[in-house]
Amino acid sequence: MKLNDDIILDIRRDYVLGKLRDGERIDGRAFDEYREIKIETGIIEKAEGSALVSIGNTQVIVGIKMQPGEPFPDTPDKGIIITNAELVPLASPTFEPGPPDENSVELSRVVDRGIRESEAVDLSKLVIEEGEKVWLVFIDIHALDDDGNLMDASSLAAISALLTTTVPAERFDIGEDFPLPVRDLPVSVTTRIIGKYGIVDPCKDEEYASKNFITITTDSEDNIVAMQKSGSYLMGEEMLMEIMETSIRKARDNRKLLKEV
Amino acid sequence: MASRPIVLPGELLASNPKVAGSGTYIENGKVYAKFLGLLDRTDTSVRVIPLKGRYIPSVGDVVIGVVREVAGNGWVVDINSPYQGFLPASENPEMRQNRKPNDVLDIDDVIIAKVLNIDPKMKVTLTMKDRMCRAVRFGRIIGINPARVPRVIGKKGSMIRMFKTELGVQIVVGKNGLIWVSGDRRKVNIVEEAVYIIESEAHTDGLTDRITEFVKRKKGELNGQ
Amino acid sequence: MDSKDIKLIIDGKRLDGRGFEDLRPIKMRVGVLKRADGSCYLEMGKNKVVAAVFGPREVHPRHLADPIKAVVRYRYNMAPFSVEERKRPGPDRRSVEISKVSREAIEAIVMKELFPRSGIDIFVEVLQADAGSRTACLNAASVALVDAGVPMKGMISSVAVAKVDDVLVLDPMKEEDNYGQADIPFAFFIRNDRIESIALLQMDGRVSKEEFVQALEMAKRGAMKIYEMQKEAIKTKYIMESEGEVNEIE
Repeated sequence: MKLNDDIILDIRRDYVLGKLRDGERIDGRAFDEYREIKIETGIIEKAEGSALVSIGNTQVIVGIKMQPGEPFPDTPDKGIIITNAELVPLASPTFEPGPPDENSVELSRVVDRGIRESEAVDLSKLVIEEGEKVWLVFIDIHALDDDGNLMDASSLAAISALLTTTVPAERFDIGEDFPLPVRDLPVSVTTRIIGKYGIVDPCKDEEYASKNFITITTDSEDNIVAMQKSGSYLMGEEMLMEIMETSIRKARDNRKLLKEV
Repeated sequence: MASRPIVLPGELLASNPKVAGSGTYIENGKVYAKFLGLLDRTDTSVRVIPLKGRYIPSVGDVVIGVVREVAGNGWVVDINSPYQGFLPASENPEMRQNRKPNDVLDIDDVIIAKVLNIDPKMKVTLTMKDRMCRAVRFGRIIGINPARVPRVIGKKGSMIRMFKTELGVQIVVGKNGLIWVSGDRRKVNIVEEAVYIIESEAHTDGLTDRITEFVKRKKGELNGQ
Repeated sequence: MDSKDIKLIIDGKRLDGRGFEDLRPIKMRVGVLKRADGSCYLEMGKNKVVAAVFGPREVHPRHLADPIKAVVRYRYNMAPFSVEERKRPGPDRRSVEISKVSREAIEAIVMKELFPRSGIDIFVEVLQADAGSRTACLNAASVALVDAGVPMKGMISSVAVAKVDDVLVLDPMKEEDNYGQADIPFAFFIRNDRIESIALLQMDGRVSKEEFVQALEMAKRGAMKIYEMQKEAIKTKYIMESEGEVNEIE
């Protein structure tokens, strides 16, 4: 059933397509241009680390909570990262209350992969007692306003929050607090595929024009650490290579913002 | 022109129920503001002009809608409102004997219609028996926030007139935020862009002048090419 | 811990330096979310909450719709990182109860009968919780409803009063809430700059009738201050936006 709230966005789909054919985007950006990105950290004092990231009108908040827990049996010498995304109904007229749907599961898993595979957090430093007790790192993604590209906003917010995280050892009587060891800066770049066009950092009107996207996450050395092609479409090799180039380049730009965090 | 102050819900506007206009409610003989808006007070009436809000149909409104369902006796029409409209087959002049509703209008067809009737349960009946009404088979639909519609129309229709005379386009503004524009493709593009500008930055003085300037400049660029 | 063990009033001042009838610092911003019809970000002490309003809109699934009035939904939700111990995502019994009484307070002033078969949704996210998060949420929700242009009889302002160390204090913070003798959250229906009635009332702890009457008066004075701030926040946003309209709108 189509939601009534979307009729305006439905109508704008043709506007988006018409503009793309003329080589333009509706907000005048270049195809590989991000909206303005703002990163604010330390906004939730009760969290171990937190960040509010806005990309244009899109706003995502990530909070990090930590507590001691049991390690996985196969990795007794490593801490654990648990990433969770709530697309709370406040963020969009089309989000409904209830358990996470496939979109929020995909969102949290893609963000998680970038952080995990880049080994951004040194999990070996998060062991309290080998095989018995390690630190659990909860990355909770809370979307506040979905005006497109929650993916990149979430992954930027996640890494920004991790960068500002203090391990709350004193609260649990296990020694002194220390900064969470973060040693890489994975950055995701999401490209919306609309017909034959690929545009980075889609706004909501653009997302409505097509369900198809690809997210590519790279680390500080331009290695690819996570990828996700989403949507039922076929992508040519040539396009993929082009998008990969762009993603690496844009990730470098966005990583500069993280260095200021 | 008298300035129109902002009023909030519950603000007392008058002690005489006879002057109560739209956007107000009466309780114990007193007239209060019903929602956030601009107060418009004359000698004989007070009303509140809404600044925000969804489109709520009212009898006589011209609306633009999209057919969502075809029934045996008419069409269910999405009018960008909490309420769907129903267009009975008998209210569509294109219906003739031996034609079934889906021969005349199909799902996703766009129509310009008028609100004929609203029952107490907010069942909205539409009609196409009016010279403004038609099935839209060409041109373009633009969608905006319904509360911005008065700005697109302009004072006494000045903005619409300007589009028509400057660009020679046909234009119908639905009260529900949907706008139909038809004419030269590039000129329709100009209207579309102008409408989005009106929608997003309408809060400064001299809007009509600035939009006129924008349209003239864009038209000049077209002719220069 | 027994409440006797902790002194909450020292030399006539509260632990955070406030007098008995001082509110915590309050900040509000209206229209902070693009996708919502109305929204408000609000800080009240360490509470940080954001409210969004959608509607009136179609109700899904349809069978939940009421043929004679709008269905109001209110969702109070705490972010997992809003509290010291990570909270498991999703509603617990406390959130369900808060959502219920808050919704009922709002339903009492929203003109539901104007919108049969439709739904009005109010979602409030607690990004950081301190004592009194339900009152902060209601204050934000009330502003978000006005911002959405929803027809209402008036507005709602909410504040709690606590009894600590045998005295009444306005707008309790964490320690006063945890170790105090009573906590009484109020919300008031305010019309034309006047408190007309009580829209929400809960209480736990123990107070005498006289103390309750005093608490009520204290809450009313506090709520009026909050109301002035709510009005100010809305007007600040809209005066700018509407200046052009005087000449542009027929």
